[in-house]
Amino acid sequence: MLTVLLVDDDPEFTDVACTIIEFLGHEVLTAANLSEARDWLTKEKFDHILLDFMLPDGSGVHLFDELDALPKRPRVTLITGHPSVRGIIKGLCGPNIDYLVKPIQREEIEAVLSGRKDKKNEAVGKATIKKYFGHLIGESASMKELYKLIERVSRTSANVMLLGESGVGKEVVAEAIHAASDVEGPYIATNCGAFSKELIGSELFGHEKGAFTGAVGRKSGVFEQAENGTLFLDEITEMPIDMQPNLLRVLENRVVIRVGGTKTIPINCRVVSATNRQMEEIAESKVLREDIYFRLAVFPITIPPLRERKEDIPLLASSFIAELNKENSTNFVWKDAQLDTLKAYDWPGNVRELRHFVHRAAIMSDPDKQDIQLPKTIESPFAKKQSTTPALQAGRTIEDVEKELIYATLEKVNGNKTLAAEMLGISTKTLYNRLHAYGDLSKDD
Amino acid sequence: MTEEELTVMAKQVHDARKPLNRISMQAELIKMALDGDVPPERAKQALDKIIISTKDCSEALTHMMDALSNSQSDA
Repeated sequence: MLTVLLVDDDPEFTDVACTIIEFLGHEVLTAANLSEARDWLTKEKFDHILLDFMLPDGSGVHLFDELDALPKRPRVTLITGHPSVRGIIKGLCGPNIDYLVKPIQREEIEAVLSGRKDKKNEAVGKATIKKYFGHLIGESASMKELYKLIERVSRTSANVMLLGESGVGKEVVAEAIHAASDVEGPYIATNCGAFSKELIGSELFGHEKGAFTGAVGRKSGVFEQAENGTLFLDEITEMPIDMQPNLLRVLENRVVIRVGGTKTIPINCRVVSATNRQMEEIAESKVLREDIYFRLAVFPITIPPLRERKEDIPLLASSFIAELNKENSTNFVWKDAQLDTLKAYDWPGNVRELRHFVHRAAIMSDPDKQDIQLPKTIESPFAKKQSTTPALQAGRTIEDVEKELIYATLEKVNGNKTLAAEMLGISTKTLYNRLHAYGDLSKDD
Repeated sequence: MTEEELTVMAKQVHDARKPLNRISMQAELIKMALDGDVPPERAKQALDKIIISTKDCSEALTHMMDALSNSQSDA
C-alpha cells in the first residue's frame, strides 16, 4: 500500500481519481493547489505524488525544491494536459520522472503507481490468459473440445449433466454454460447432498407457510428462483432416492407444487446437474433412477481431469497468482522452473487442489518480493491416497516417487515400520531416516 | 497570431481538455461499477456528469472559435 498525494485543481477529477486509487489499495490525500500541497508535505509522509503541471498558484514544478529537501523523496508523476510539455519537463527535471497525459485512464494510474515496467508485464500476462465464456481457462485440445460442446448446448435449452472428478470445476462449467446461453434469468446453484431428506423438498420446490414445523413463511424453491435462467444441481447422485420421483415429476411436467401447497407453478429453466461419480458407477450403484438420468443427462459433458491437460497448468497457475496479486496488492511472478514443477505433478485434487496450493505458496512468500516460495512438497491428505494409482510418469523426481512408495507401503502394512522396511528392501534405520526427513516422525514416535 | 493570442488560445485548449479528462475518469468509474467494484448509483451519477462535461467541452470549443474569428476580423 502506498500513501499518495494527488495535487490537481479540478475537484471532479480528484474525486474520481481518489475512488480509483483507493480501489487499487492505496491511501490518497488531495490538494487543490501548491500551498495545500506544501501543507500536506509538512504533515505526512508520501510514497508517490501525482502532480498537475498547471495549478492556480503556479506550476507543479515549483514543488520540486521542497521535495528534494525531504528525507525520503517521494516518486513524482506529473499530470499534463499537453503532450509537448513532456519535452520541457524532461529538460527541467531530468529523464527520471513519469508523466500522465490528460485525458487519463485507470490503467495509466495503475501503471505509474506500481512502477511502469512490472505493470506492463503483468498486463501482457493478463491479456494472454483468455477466459472462455468469462469463466474457463485452458487452451488444451480437451478444453477446446469442451468449449465446443458448451457452445453447442448453449444454443438449445437441453438439460446438461456434468461428469468429472472432484475439483475439476463442474460448478465453473455450469456458470460458463449459463453465461454462454445468454438467458435473461439468474443462475441459481444448490447442492443436493447438503440437505436432509426432509429439507430437500423445500429447497427445490419451496414451501407454503405452515407446511411443516418451522415453516413460518412462504419460501420459493430454487426451480422458481431460476425462472428463465439456469439451475445448477450439484452432487445430484447424493439426493435421497425416495425424493427422486418428485424431481422426475417436475422435470417431466415443468411445473412445481410447493411443499404444503396445491397450486401448480410453471417453471422454465435449464437444469445443469453434476456428479463426481462415473457413468458406469451411476448405473451400477443405483444412486440415480434411470428415468431421472435420461431427463437430466439429455446432454452429458465429461470434464477432463487436470492431469489430462497438463499444458493448462501454467495458465491456471498464472491466473490464480494474478488474482491473488490483485487481491493483496502483491507482485508475484512464476519462474519457468516452478511452473515445470507444477506441471510434473498429477494433481489428483484437480484444479481445486492447484488453486489451494497456489494460495498456500502466495501466503508463504514475502509480499514485498516477486519470488514465489513453493512449499517443499505438493501434497494434501487426499492426494496421498489417490496419487498411488496413476502409473509412473516421466518428469517426477526419484525422491518424490520414493516418498510415495514408502507411504503406500506403510499404508498397506498399517504403519508397521519393520514390515514396511522389509517389503521395501531397506533397513528399518533407513526408513526411520527417510520419515524423519519428511518431517513425519513426530506424529508416531 | 501574436504571442498574446497564443497564450489565450493555450488557456482555451486547457479549458476544453479539462471536461475531456473528466469524461475519461467518469467512464473508468462506470467500468468499475459494471464490475461491481463501486455501487451502481455512482455509475448513474457519472453518466450525468459525462453529459454535463460534453456540454462544457462544446462550450469551450465555441469560445475558441469566437476568439479565432475575432482575431481574424481584427486583422
